[in-house]
Amino acid sequence: MKVSCLHENLARGLGLVGRAVAARSTLPVLGNVLLATEDSRLRLSATNLELGISCWIGAKVHSEGSTTVPAKTFIDLVGTLPKDQVDLELTERTQTLQVSCAQFKNDIKCIDSEEFPILPSAGDGQSLDLNVRDLRSMIGQVVFAAATDDARPVLTGVEVKIDESEVSFAAADGFRLALCNSALSSTNDQAISAIVPARGLAELSRIIGDRDDPVTLTLPVGRGQAIFRAKDIELVSQLVEGNFPDYQQLIPESYSTRSVLGTDEFLNACRAAQVFAREAAYAARLKIIPGDESDPGSVEVSANAAETGSNESVVDATVEGDAVEIGFNVRYLTDVLQVIDTPNVALETNGDSSPGVIRPVGRDDFVSVIMPMHIGR
Amino acid sequence: MAVPIAILHQSVVSKIAAGEVVERPASVVKELLENALDAGASSINVTVNGGGLQLIRVSDDGIGIHSDEAELVFMRHATSKLCSARDLDSIKTLGFRGEALSSISAVSHMDLVTRSSGEEIGTRLRAAAGEITDRAIVSTPCGTIVSVENLFFNLPARLKFLKSDAAEKARIGRVFSRYALAFPGVRFRLHFDKRQKFQSLGTGSLSDVLVAVYGAETVEQLLEVSGRGRHGVAVNGYVSMPSLSRSNRREITLFVNGRYVQDSRLTLAITRAYHTLLMKGRYPIAVICITLSPVDVDVNVHPAKTEVRFREPNHVFNSIEREVRRTLLNQRALNHPMTSGWPHSEVVESVDWPAPFFFGNSVESDDLVTEDNVESETQTELPVTGLPLLRVIGQVGAAYIVAEGPDGLYLIDQHAAHERVLYESYMAAAQSARVESQTLMEAVTVTLDYEAAEDLRRHLDALYALGFRVEPFGGDSFVVRALPAVIGALTPEQALLGVLEHENSHGYELPPGEEDRIILRVCKRAAVRAGRVLSQKEQEVLLRQLEKCQSPVTCPHGRPTMIRISVEHLEKKFGRRG
Repeated sequence: MKVSCLHENLARGLGLVGRAVAARSTLPVLGNVLLATEDSRLRLSATNLELGISCWIGAKVHSEGSTTVPAKTFIDLVGTLPKDQVDLELTERTQTLQVSCAQFKNDIKCIDSEEFPILPSAGDGQSLDLNVRDLRSMIGQVVFAAATDDARPVLTGVEVKIDESEVSFAAADGFRLALCNSALSSTNDQAISAIVPARGLAELSRIIGDRDDPVTLTLPVGRGQAIFRAKDIELVSQLVEGNFPDYQQLIPESYSTRSVLGTDEFLNACRAAQVFAREAAYAARLKIIPGDESDPGSVEVSANAAETGSNESVVDATVEGDAVEIGFNVRYLTDVLQVIDTPNVALETNGDSSPGVIRPVGRDDFVSVIMPMHIGR
Repeated sequence: MAVPIAILHQSVVSKIAAGEVVERPASVVKELLENALDAGASSINVTVNGGGLQLIRVSDDGIGIHSDEAELVFMRHATSKLCSARDLDSIKTLGFRGEALSSISAVSHMDLVTRSSGEEIGTRLRAAAGEITDRAIVSTPCGTIVSVENLFFNLPARLKFLKSDAAEKARIGRVFSRYALAFPGVRFRLHFDKRQKFQSLGTGSLSDVLVAVYGAETVEQLLEVSGRGRHGVAVNGYVSMPSLSRSNRREITLFVNGRYVQDSRLTLAITRAYHTLLMKGRYPIAVICITLSPVDVDVNVHPAKTEVRFREPNHVFNSIEREVRRTLLNQRALNHPMTSGWPHSEVVESVDWPAPFFFGNSVESDDLVTEDNVESETQTELPVTGLPLLRVIGQVGAAYIVAEGPDGLYLIDQHAAHERVLYESYMAAAQSARVESQTLMEAVTVTLDYEAAEDLRRHLDALYALGFRVEPFGGDSFVVRALPAVIGALTPEQALLGVLEHENSHGYELPPGEEDRIILRVCKRAAVRAGRVLSQKEQEVLLRQLEKCQSPVTCPHGRPTMIRISVEHLEKKFGRRG
């Protein structure tokens, strides 16, 4: 194999695939990046067996071939090279890759590409185009709600559901739920439902960056994988097997109190409360005071930690319905308020032992349900 | 055949009475020591030959016995310590029954030499089996010398039940050291077969006596208890650091108003003060002197006088527990100087770890400083000082965190440490009745077997108070609607199983209350397991949380959370330092 490419492209490509390199694996080849020539392009791939990322960069292929190069060594080296043309030449017999750039010459010991896991090609299966901007914002709006521990693996994933005209993402961790929808740009004839690991989606959101070209989602039949493909990148994620909780029944259909607050003011009050609440299992108390003719009402956010102290902030709100005092894990509030981009947010409650519902005001494509906390006095 | 009823002969009565008071040589020593101390002696010499059967001689420099009264001492119920029944309510002397000398003389050959301070000439009396055989006038210093020879010569049955000489000597030694501890102002000397066994200097300092009894190395690991408790109960003495423990309660020595007592409740008070500090089956060394008004204590319970009754037993119990616990807590605040006691072997693989903060020549396995969580009562009173700042180096075997502190290398058991962190935050929440309860998104139905379900039904109220919202759901099923927020990542099933887990299988002392037990079990479940790889960040957070704990160095079951290897030890092991 002998190829030449621009340093800039190589560095960008490695930056993309580097995140999928297995940090500590018993399989040494998983710590490597696959380099392979493909149709006058150079393919870079890395995988940790759960998540695989590939990227194609423009290159001048002098002779075809492939190898895997230790990721850390290669990435660190490329980081030091001047912005010039990089020549890669593999001596197959010794699996040594010579990396030369300007007056720098380096030999890196490689592992035969035969040992690298085969990355799936899209093949057949349902596929569908998704709008990048929608995809990124949807991922951002739900991934925080996914569980981070493996107690219930299905909750570490995001349920992706696609019907004829709409795609919905849902994540839940046993105490909260985030759900968002978006219209499809093209029609889809077959309903799709899959649970994609939240980590994989977070990586996807990162690597698709601010591109404009659509992302194609493919679910190859019977392989338990989801493949997201953009122009010159591809992300393959294993799906989580199992049944996602039926979240529709968890979203209350009505409310007894609806409070509309400024998103930023509410978020700031929650952040302040979190400073104290983190010593007390993140418990914060919301005292919702309905308005009258002269005063629209308010929401008082307070937290109290025996050792640290206590905090109380009043956020102006438009409150309809009954007065209520309800406890929440304040992290769950800050998490969801951070991803809401409308100026106002509505909090709907049904008493202190029913879930709280948070919706952006003026949009109906997002909803989050947070289970209350009972706070002893 | 009918046996006629007859009044027993005096000699038989004496022997029966002697049986209660004089059980074995050690009881003779005890009675004679008490007499000497009651006589106001400042120096007491005891000589024991042949395990005490040949000879026990106790000589003192007390006030002596007036020659006119000397014969009376061999009579039963003859005493100078008590005049009327009312005096029994406020006994200040060790003896008072007037039985000791007569009982002892009834079962031995006794030789009494005494001179009272007001007389010029002393008296010598000899008695055999309680009968005076000889009386003479002798020249002797002020005080009393009692020699008991041929003990039990007329009670062969008792002789059979005595143990070996060595065992009897050991008992005598224990009795003797108890009095030496109770009276640090008196000089005690004990000779076994002409060899000096023990000597206390009579300086008045308890720690000096402790050095004589336990040796200097042990005493360095004792902490002074000193508290004017509430309700007029003063508690003074020494208790061992948790790093020093014994496998039995024998080294817990209690004195009430200078009188050695055996009281299982007071012993329990001391062990309770070590709750979560010592492993199951380990007991502290403690010498505790309780001082209270004689009116509040009844010593006239048993002839041997090692049992007492208190008017307010709970006050005494609580005072002891509180003072001992306070002492244990303050221990860390004292910031003991770091010393490098390197106990044993050269083999690093073995238990060669040093005692972390203290001089560590302990023969016991727990070379670790430990510290306790406390009840809220003491919690507020005491300053809380944390561990030194630790820098995380990494994780070993997915089970231990390696960290560096200013004084060496720390190995921290991640499970034990996390258990401690959870336990303390849960306890704090439970004690202030502020347990946050996080409602579950979906109520979870858990079906248990019959036994477990019964168990759970019994605990439902306690569980409610601890932040669980569990409801019976027909049969042996339960619905879990909410879990305590502190236990975080546990699934409802795991949490319930944790609650029901039987504590006996874990080999630790049961904490007192039902809620405590549940908390302990739940925390055990919820704590991160050994085998979980932790990120650097997780390790750091865990250490920061551990630093905030009241007693970071043991897990709630009393096992150590950390091992420290001091810089000195490392230097020594690498041959940088002799």
